[in-house]
Amino acid sequence: MGTSRERRNQWAGELNDLIRGASGGFLFGIPLLYTMEVWWVGSSANPPRLLLALLLTFAIVFMLNRTAGFRRTRDIYAIDAAMDTVEAMAVGAVCAGFVLVLLQEINLQTPLNEALGKLIYESIPFTLGVALANQFLSGSPQENQQESSANPGSDQGTLHATFSDIGGTLIGAMIIAFNISPTDEIPMLASAVTAPWLLLIMAASLHISYAIVFAAGFANQQKRQQQQGIFQRPLSETIMSYLVSLLAAMVMLVFLTS
Amino acid sequence: MIQAQNDSPTPTNSPTETVKRPSRSAAEWVTFGIASLILAAIAGLVVYGWATKRDLPPVLTIHQTETVRETNGQFYVPFEISNAGGETAKSVQIIAELRVNGTVKESGDLEIDFLSENERQAGAFVFDQDPRQGELRLRVSSYKAP
Repeated sequence: MGTSRERRNQWAGELNDLIRGASGGFLFGIPLLYTMEVWWVGSSANPPRLLLALLLTFAIVFMLNRTAGFRRTRDIYAIDAAMDTVEAMAVGAVCAGFVLVLLQEINLQTPLNEALGKLIYESIPFTLGVALANQFLSGSPQENQQESSANPGSDQGTLHATFSDIGGTLIGAMIIAFNISPTDEIPMLASAVTAPWLLLIMAASLHISYAIVFAAGFANQQKRQQQQGIFQRPLSETIMSYLVSLLAAMVMLVFLTS
Repeated sequence: MIQAQNDSPTPTNSPTETVKRPSRSAAEWVTFGIASLILAAIAGLVVYGWATKRDLPPVLTIHQTETVRETNGQFYVPFEISNAGGETAKSVQIIAELRVNGTVKESGDLEIDFLSENERQAGAFVFDQDPRQGELRLRVSSYKAP
């Protein structure tokens, strides 16, 4: 094995770990991002409380990293878990900050203390999601192998597999979005948004979905290759999932709002 | 992925213990460095905000921002409220009164959920009568401590 290849593997592996972490953060953190009470708590929190929140997050995620974590490798030394915790918190803060800016909860007019409060409080669930990413997004390799050998999958028709993909996407969309769609935050955020900003939100949604599909792809590569549906390339899969999500969102909004 | 990390021989610092995790690669050190910088920046900004925070109660000022706008027989009075103090004010009540010849002809009120340090919020009061014909008063009537 050449050194350059090894190095490339290192970077690819690191990128993969980070994307998996961020995907876990988004899955776990999104429902709380759409909760205005969390914004308010953040707005009015004073600096000592914010520092305490940072320390508590560190402690909780440190404990999680001892058992779960977002990396493929297990942390057996406390120092590794501590370093992973710093990384998980940074990934969580960056993702939460990105979405808060996207939702216009943090903008150039937001005072520093308020922005920090929102960021720190919202990044707690994100950081937990990052630390739990391995539980969300990957099965162990042995498990995958068993599943793929038990399921040859060749006698399934393409059409049937495609429908099962769409059904899975729909169920996933419902599980994640059901506790967001009936809340007041949606009309509130929607009322303040402009057309170019909506395009930006669409672009961000597509990129985040792509990242999650990409991260999940690494987890279940073998199982996925058995799947026969027509949406098997990450790009088409992402666009399909976005369209299904829009449909699910529409149905939920129709049924859940008065 | 897994192969990539297992391929590299794992130099162990303490040979007596079984090490499942290979020593950190350059890539991991770089991300750790960036991550520490981000966290340090956040913690630093919190401390900075703490140090520069003025220990003042809320100082709320309200003023009319534009001239009165008339549309469909209604008069819109845009205003802006800001908090120049140090603490956050909660449930800020704003009252607008329109007096003509000494009597209150119309009044309106509005509640602002939060107004933190240096924050500004804008809104408008709507009247049926022309506020320019009388005396218009905008004032903050109350707030809650957070």
